[in-house]
Amino acid sequence: MRALLNAVKTGFTEIWAHKTRSVLSFLAIAAGSVVFIDAFSAIFATYAHLERQKQVSGMARMKISQNYSQTYSSPDDYVPPPVFRYEDVLRLREKMPELYMVSPEGRDWRNVLVYGEQRMTTSLMGVTPEWVKRDFIYTLKGRFLDWHDVENKLRVCVLVKKAAPPPGNSFNKSMMKKYNFTGGFDMLVAHNDMVGKTVNIDGFTFTVIGVLEELPYSKRPDTIMGRGQEYKVLAPVTTLVHYNFIGQQSLDINIDTGSEQNFDESMRKINNFLKIRFGDGDFFIVENQLEVIRERIAASIKGALVTISLGMLAFIAGGIGIMNVTLATVFARTREIGIRRAIGASRRDIMLQFIVEAVMLGLIGGVLGSALGYLWGVPIKVILGMGGSPIKPWMPLVSVLIAAFTAFAFAIYPAWVAAGLKPADALRAE
Amino acid sequence: MSIKCSELTKVYEGGHSGWPALRGISFHIKPGEFVAVTGPSGCGKSTLLNIIGLLDEPSGGKYSLNGRNVFTLSDLERSDTRRDEIGFIFQSFHLLNRLSSVENVALPLMYAGAGRAEMHERAHALLRRVGLHGKEKKIPLELSGGERQRVAIARALANSPKLILADEPTGNLDSASSKEIMQMLTDLNAEGITVIMVTHDKELAARAGRNLRMRDGRLEP
Ligand SMILES: Nc1ncnc2c1ncn2[C@@H]1O[C@H](COP(=O)(O)OP(=O)(O)OP(=O)(O)O)[C@@H](O)[C@H]1O
Ligand SMILES: [Mg+2]
Repeated sequence: MRALLNAVKTGFTEIWAHKTRSVLSFLAIAAGSVVFIDAFSAIFATYAHLERQKQVSGMARMKISQNYSQTYSSPDDYVPPPVFRYEDVLRLREKMPELYMVSPEGRDWRNVLVYGEQRMTTSLMGVTPEWVKRDFIYTLKGRFLDWHDVENKLRVCVLVKKAAPPPGNSFNKSMMKKYNFTGGFDMLVAHNDMVGKTVNIDGFTFTVIGVLEELPYSKRPDTIMGRGQEYKVLAPVTTLVHYNFIGQQSLDINIDTGSEQNFDESMRKINNFLKIRFGDGDFFIVENQLEVIRERIAASIKGALVTISLGMLAFIAGGIGIMNVTLATVFARTREIGIRRAIGASRRDIMLQFIVEAVMLGLIGGVLGSALGYLWGVPIKVILGMGGSPIKPWMPLVSVLIAAFTAFAFAIYPAWVAAGLKPADALRAE
Repeated sequence: MSIKCSELTKVYEGGHSGWPALRGISFHIKPGEFVAVTGPSGCGKSTLLNIIGLLDEPSGGKYSLNGRNVFTLSDLERSDTRRDEIGFIFQSFHLLNRLSSVENVALPLMYAGAGRAEMHERAHALLRRVGLHGKEKKIPLELSGGERQRVAIARALANSPKLILADEPTGNLDSASSKEIMQMLTDLNAEGITVIMVTHDKELAARAGRNLRMRDGRLEP
């Protein structure tokens, strides 16, 4: 113990006496720490993000939609393919009550909305109350559609208020200006309290019963399936059918089986249902989104591992730096080693001295690197608009430990060289 | 300290390989003796002293220190013997230049596991004894040659050795300093410490109790 204390004391003296050399070598380790902390927090963020995405979007997802790749031997053979209607949704629900979500969507692409003096284009989407079960990244003002609205085909609607786009990215901004044909609608919802107001859509009056506000980008987990759909005006799917907005159109059905265990079983049942209902013609496809989600998760984990391995490489580089410094120290201090041996230091003492010195460099580097890593991870990244990374208290701790361990591992060889010098030879060195 | 050597040989590997620096040396030094080793440059005096001081190993022959065969000692035992029983004094002082006098003197105490207070007290006492009171905080570069050698003597005495090995301790000093150092060695010998000193100086050698004259790796009769 005392030997260790003495080695630490000597280490301090040596590190202090060779400030430049020491600073350089612990900077190398510090760089490793920064990358490592960044990697850790990136992985942590990815993981937390995925967990939230899983919660919001669910894992056991599939989607029934019309198969557009039907082929016909001649134009005369063409018969309109069967469509998936709301009645079919009800039947599927009845057959498989165990499904967590069966949410039909029927879109009318372009509608004209009139509010007072203002006319603007928008897009209607027919849904049921099950729509809120997944990918709900909104706060609700007023109320959402209920089953009463759907059963009675009421002309009520919910408007979606877009969140401000994320900062930066002027290209996206200008593209949005150019192609967003519902810009007027977005402005209307953004600047007016629409709940309880009446609007006119393609000649029919609708009562606005609620407004869904998108969560700001910083607080929102992207839905796991990406942002495929843009929602503007939500109305009961039955109402849109009844008033012939989407009269003959086939509905897309988003399904969540509720758990991954019964996913394959449910998939088979659903395919079976389609076969019985519509025959063998493969008129519909059932997308297995679980697979897609799993692949996406695997990809983000792979990305995280790449970052971690970069951190490892940085540490190895730092370790080699320390090894180099320690070796140089050994050669520069050969005479000192000889003197210490002559007055009674054993091989173990010499070995300890060099290892302790290197570990101290590693520790200093680790602490410095952790501080830099924190600065980089939290304020600097935010200033640069990269979004801060969450840094947990254990990350710098682990990083410092790894730094110290790396220094230890890479100091063993030089320390062994130092301890192996014969006292007489070492004393003769200049 | 009783030192018994018989037929010691030392062949240095490497360089002009196989150069025999010692070619069979036998002698016996009894406890409390003051022995001067003399001989022309390159005859193997330092080599012999290094072997006696366990800084180097002979290639052949027998060497027993206080009745113990040194060939059977482990590195740790050899290190502990150097630390506790042998004090070295070198021509070029071999002080650590980054440490102050007092820290240099305390170093052997540190390796012996002494506590802070004990180290402090003993190191100061030793420096006072060699007449360096007031120069405890100076680093070697701030001291004269004679003063440096006195720090080295204080360091050699740190763990109360029974044997002092001095390799040309006055080789880098003027005659006044040489006399002082020689006087110290004589005093230490009078206290019962065995002293073996390598020197080129005939006058100093004459003041030793016994002379071992070497030539070409052998002892002259
Ligand atoms: N490490 C070494 N490797 C090879 N040869 C060596 C080594 N050390 C000493 N020698 C050789 O061994 C011989 C004896 O050297 P040593 O240093 O013992 O002489 P010395 O009597 O102390 O001389 P000096 O009076 O000049 O100090 C010399 O010829 C020298 O060249
Ligand atoms: Mg010599």
